Order: sequence, then structure tokens, then C-alpha cells
Amino acid sequence: MGLFSSSGSKTASSSDTGLYEAPGRTSRVKCWDARDTYFQCLDRNNILDALKHEEDAARLCGKESQAFEGNCALSWVKYFKQRRVAEYEKEQLLKKQAAESFPSR
Amino acid sequence: MSRPHCLQQQSRSALRCIAQSFGLSRPGTSAPQQWHFRPLHSSSRTTSQRPLHRAFSSSVPRQAWKTVEQARSRGRLGVLHNITPTQALIRGAVFVVTGIAIIVYFREERERLERKRIAEQTKGIGKPKVGGPFSLIDHEGRPFTSEDLKGKYSLVYFGFTNCPDICPDELDKMADMIDRVKATSGDVLLPVMITCDPARDSPEILKKYLAEFHPDIIGLTGSYDEIKNTCKVYRVYFSTPPHLKPGQDYLVDHSIYFYLMDPEGDFVEAIGRNFTAEQAAKVIRDHINDWTGPLDRKPRQ
Repeated sequence: MGLFSSSGSKTASSSDTGLYEAPGRTSRVKCWDARDTYFQCLDRNNILDALKHEEDAARLCGKESQAFEGNCALSWVKYFKQRRVAEYEKEQLLKKQAAESFPSR
Repeated sequence: MSRPHCLQQQSRSALRCIAQSFGLSRPGTSAPQQWHFRPLHSSSRTTSQRPLHRAFSSSVPRQAWKTVEQARSRGRLGVLHNITPTQALIRGAVFVVTGIAIIVYFREERERLERKRIAEQTKGIGKPKVGGPFSLIDHEGRPFTSEDLKGKYSLVYFGFTNCPDICPDELDKMADMIDRVKATSGDVLLPVMITCDPARDSPEILKKYLAEFHPDIIGLTGSYDEIKNTCKVYRVYFSTPPHLKPGQDYLVDHSIYFYLMDPEGDFVEAIGRNFTAEQAAKVIRDHINDWTGPLDRKPRQ
């Protein structure tokens, strides 16, 4: 990752100077696009938790992962990966609850 | 009893009789004007003294039915007695429109009272307080305290510039809300974003960041303790660790509500993420319309 991190403009540039710069609208959109592409790849390969199945994710979606990490701050990458799992679990829970409240359906 | 004969007449002429005895006779009819000045005790002699009256009352109306049954059989009784279909239609329409108007009025009134209840929940002593005194600096580096929120309605949001997805979405929504409220209610809303990440969010960073959303939004920052205290008075969950360095890459956790505060600086209502900009604008607009106290409508410098 270290090799490629310079290729994209990071949203939260902590980097060299140590000066923080807030992510702008365009860099946010870039990051979100890269994230969506990466998650689509995970979907295709049936990987839900990219943090848990790190090796598989890196092997199957390496290119997308680089783009994702290149366009988003590391804290964002981690956050989005966690959120993906949380959203999935929430969805399952809601489905389960719906099934329980309407058992006939 | 000065007018005993009225009661003996057929219904229609009886009415006329009573009307005349009160001086309400139509012009042209030969009404006995003297009745007005008749002393009360003279009533017993009325019949003999006033044959004119006898003649008058004997005129039988054309449509006088002998019995109620007879009248009913001819369909002449009831509300819609003797009217054309157009008149019936007009009366029906008036009835329906009045009914709808009453329903709408009571619904509006109920909504208004509900809003009033929400707005006044935090007024007075012993009520749970959201919001309170704080002393921060705005995105221009000028001091900004809770006193500066007063005068207009204010919309307070907590966030941070390195927020990945939720805050930017919410700030876009806030911008939309500001425009919508401004369009209908004028310059009566003061939108504020208070950072939960004071280590990184300096006034300059906030200024640049917020300019992308809406020029009206005021960014507030301060020392770690001041921000922590502000979050505390607004009951905002605050988890930012104290010794972060601006260069570090981290996220902070915070509650995501818009807090609507009235011109006296009291909390009115929390608007959550589930509200669309349109719904939120309606909530704000309705509270503004309910407000009867002084309201600053001047644009802020």
C-alpha cells in the first residue's frame, strides 16, 4: 500500500508537512466512487468483511483496494469497511424482525 | 297579553300578526299602527274595537294544509322545502365546505398546540435542558458565545471536517433547509456547525470547509475543554480523546442531530437524520410562524 498511496490525492492529508487539510467536495466524491467500486468487487466475490478476510480481499480485489486506499484517508477506509458489515447486519436484523412480526408471510 | 288574537290565527297569518304588533309590518299593508301605543289593559276590548284586524286575519294563506299529515304527503315539510335543485346544490356545497373548513381548522390547531408543547417543554424551571452557555470562536476567529445565538432561530449541528460520509450529507441537507426556510420566512435562521474535533478544525479549516456547503453556516471551534463542555450542555455524545495531534488520521464519534433553538436561546426540537430537507424546513418554518416574541430579521454581518 505504501507504494501506491502517493498515486491518489488523499482526502485527509496528514502526510509530510503535518498540516491537516479538510477534505473537499471533489476529493470526497472521488473517495466514495473508489469505495463503491471496491465494494462491488467484494460483492462479486462474496466477501462481506474485508477486514476479517483481508487476504482474500487483497488477492481478489487488489486493484480496487489500491484505488480505494489511494483516494481515501486510512481512517475512512477502515470506517467504510466496518460500516459495510454493520449495515449488512442491520439489514439482516430488520429482515429477521420483519419475519418474526409477520410469521404468516 | 296585548295580542291574544295572534295565537288564534293560521300559522302564517299568526306570524304576520305578531310581526305587525311589533311594528314590523311591510309597507303597503294596512297595519294598525295604533297597536304600538295601546295600553296593556285595553287588550280585552281588542276584538270589538278593531274589526279591521278581524278582516286581516281572515285571509287564509293559499298553501295552508289542514293537518301535518297532509303537508307531509305533499312533500312540503322539512329543510329542503320549496327550493330549486340549484339552491339545494348551493346549500349542500356550503354544508360540505363548512365541514371541511372546521376539520382543517381543528387539525391545524391540534398541530400548533403539539408544536407549542414541544417548544415549551424545555422552558421554565425543572425542565430538562438542551443547550446552554458556551464560549467559542467562529470561523473568522472572532469570539462567539451562546448569547450570539439569540435574536434569531438557530440551527445547531455538531460535526467535524474529516467526517467520511454522514456529516457532508447532513450539511448538504442543512444548506437545503436554510434556503427553503429563507425563501419563505426571510433571514430568521442562524445555522451553526460546532466541531467535535477541535485539534484539527481551526477557524481557517472550518471556513474553507463550510464555504462548500452554504455561506450562512457559521463554524465554531475552541479549546478541547470548551468544545467538550459545549457538547455536554447540548447532550451530544463526545468521545474525542484529548491529546490528538492535527497530523493524525482519526475519526471522532458524535451524535447527529440538528438542534433547533428559539430566539431566546431555548431548545425547541431535535431534527434527526430521518427528516428530509423539506420535512425539516417545514418543522422549522412552523415553529417560526408560531413565534410571537421579537425576531431579528436583519441579515447577519
